[in-house]
Amino acid sequence: MKIKSLLIANRGEIAVRINETAKKLGIKTYGIKTSKEPNALYLRLVDDVIDFSDSQEEIPEFLDIERIIEAARSNNVGAIHPGYGFLAENPYFARRCEEENIVFIGPSADAIYKMGNKTIAKQIAQKHKVPLLQGSQGNVKNPKEAADIASKIGYPVILKAASGGGGRGMRIVEKASHIEKMFKMASNEAEKAFNDPSLFIEKYVRNPRHIEFQIVGDRYGNYIHLGERECSIQRKHQKLIEESPSVALDENLRKEMGLAAIRIAKAVNYYSAGTVEFLLDADRNFFFMEMNTRIQVEHPVTEMVSGVDLIELQIKVANGEKLPLKQEDVKLSGWAIECRINAEDVQAGFSPNLGIIEKIAYPKGKNIRVDSGVTDYSVITPYFDSMVAKLIVHGETREKAIAGTSIALRKFWIRGIKTTIPFCQAVMNHKKFKKGDFNTSFIEKEMEQLYYHDEEDEMLAAYVAAFDFAAEIETDRSTKPDFERGKNISPWVLNKRLKSL
Amino acid sequence: MKPAEPEYIAVSPAENKYVVRNPFSEDLKINGHKKDIKIFEDEDGFTFLEFKNKKYLAEITDKTQNKYTVLLNGVSYSFTIESPISYRRRKYLEKYKKANKLEVVTAPMPGKIVELLVEVGSQVKEGEAILILEAMKMQNEIIAQVSGKIKKINVKAGDSVTKDDVLMEIER
Repeated sequence: MKIKSLLIANRGEIAVRINETAKKLGIKTYGIKTSKEPNALYLRLVDDVIDFSDSQEEIPEFLDIERIIEAARSNNVGAIHPGYGFLAENPYFARRCEEENIVFIGPSADAIYKMGNKTIAKQIAQKHKVPLLQGSQGNVKNPKEAADIASKIGYPVILKAASGGGGRGMRIVEKASHIEKMFKMASNEAEKAFNDPSLFIEKYVRNPRHIEFQIVGDRYGNYIHLGERECSIQRKHQKLIEESPSVALDENLRKEMGLAAIRIAKAVNYYSAGTVEFLLDADRNFFFMEMNTRIQVEHPVTEMVSGVDLIELQIKVANGEKLPLKQEDVKLSGWAIECRINAEDVQAGFSPNLGIIEKIAYPKGKNIRVDSGVTDYSVITPYFDSMVAKLIVHGETREKAIAGTSIALRKFWIRGIKTTIPFCQAVMNHKKFKKGDFNTSFIEKEMEQLYYHDEEDEMLAAYVAAFDFAAEIETDRSTKPDFERGKNISPWVLNKRLKSL
Repeated sequence: MKPAEPEYIAVSPAENKYVVRNPFSEDLKINGHKKDIKIFEDEDGFTFLEFKNKKYLAEITDKTQNKYTVLLNGVSYSFTIESPISYRRRKYLEKYKKANKLEVVTAPMPGKIVELLVEVGSQVKEGEAILILEAMKMQNEIIAQVSGKIKKINVKAGDSVTKDDVLMEIER
């Protein structure tokens, strides 16, 4: 391995994940410490910590290109892994790494640029006969132009940030009277999130499935795909549950879409791991959406069904090695489901639930994987994304994977913050999800209850409250309540238990 | 010293009523039915209930006097705990309480006010967007829950707010 050391320019669970594989490959790892999260879990796991906590810059630490480059240079670091988000899809950052002779673990700056620019990406897709949705040729300048195009292709349409992703700067417009307001909102949001207000417009497919293909290429023109991921369980365009494979695909369609994904990758001489996203309509027509030129949050479901370590492949390809496997070596088996455990209050419209994790315990089992960025006493700050961990469960069949996920969610214990666990449980127990009958409108249209609870749960919670209230009155009177059903218990022990309730 | 109340009444916001009798003994009854619920703590400090062979993770997340919020398997439930006497008194008082005419709009999450879509005196319809709040880099429309007139606005564009901050008051 030419790469001897690696700077992880990211945080949270993905920093932990990258660190794990890098160490397995015998690479020395560096992490970046920020003042916003000085006690984060990843900092305890990396070999060496580079301290950015004195940063007074306006620009967030993980976006500070020159400082990161300088940190890598002064520590003689051979490579940088950007993870996802932050600088992962910034072509300028990849170029700066190339200029400084630091290996960027990802594709070339050129490939990032071409795929990051939605207009160029679409032209490439069109040229390589990958189906596309009708829309604007390039960016639209103003609401008027957007309205003109929309009336030509017909409503509904969708406005999207040209440099966007993750649902930000994105608006669906149902009728002409809304387009001006929506254009302004999307543009405003795009400017804030990506520092680029440009928007483009395309035909909006109602209730599609979101299907994406994982591809990996090397620097010698070899490509494989590792099947699809079904990411249709989304709220406001944010993925919450992903699985692989998808019930919507058969072998023929899988092959066709996989080849289309590889055609796009080849067209930009892509190397490293990448994801080609498609929309699949009810008649199983697929349309190219975009290519994500990075490792993705949901990569573990692919790893679980393929047995491949995608971070390892990324590092090996960056190291100049050939892909160790060919398409015919890719064997996908069983079914994997990922639940994103976000620090969000589902009962309050998924609003961020900040605080301290007092205690966390994970489900265990041979088909269970937990990628977590937190531990006991981790602080959930408002500065970063709300995702704290991911639960990935594998089963021989989809049915078994769902049942396994449901059991594992019940054993995923967190005290101190609320999370999306009850939401994930509600999905696992939903009739239509179990049948595989769902699309991107599932949460909005099919879920009457966004969190799972049994009929008797409220009664049990009422008992907890009444128990505590009664016990307080009892301890006030210094009596010995009959806590242990007949056996007396000392007030001291009782007190301790009550405190921990 | 007065003996402890034998009964505690937990009332949910939807007025679901749970009469808990003998909370510490084997003779536990809820709404008159005998229930076999065990409550225990593990070595990690998690508290669990055991009921019908199922385990439930429980945590009291908030308690102020007799107002409780309990998290059970990650879902919050709120209750007011009453004795039979205080419960009757509350019911009596509620009957005579005047209907509140003022609707208070609070921030559903921490964030930054991007834009106000109304001003004091504006007439709004239920379901109409009244302001835009940016949280976790997403712009969210805050919707009027009732129709009425904007009585008061406590924030301006650019303000940072925390959860439950009062943003506006609407007069029905």
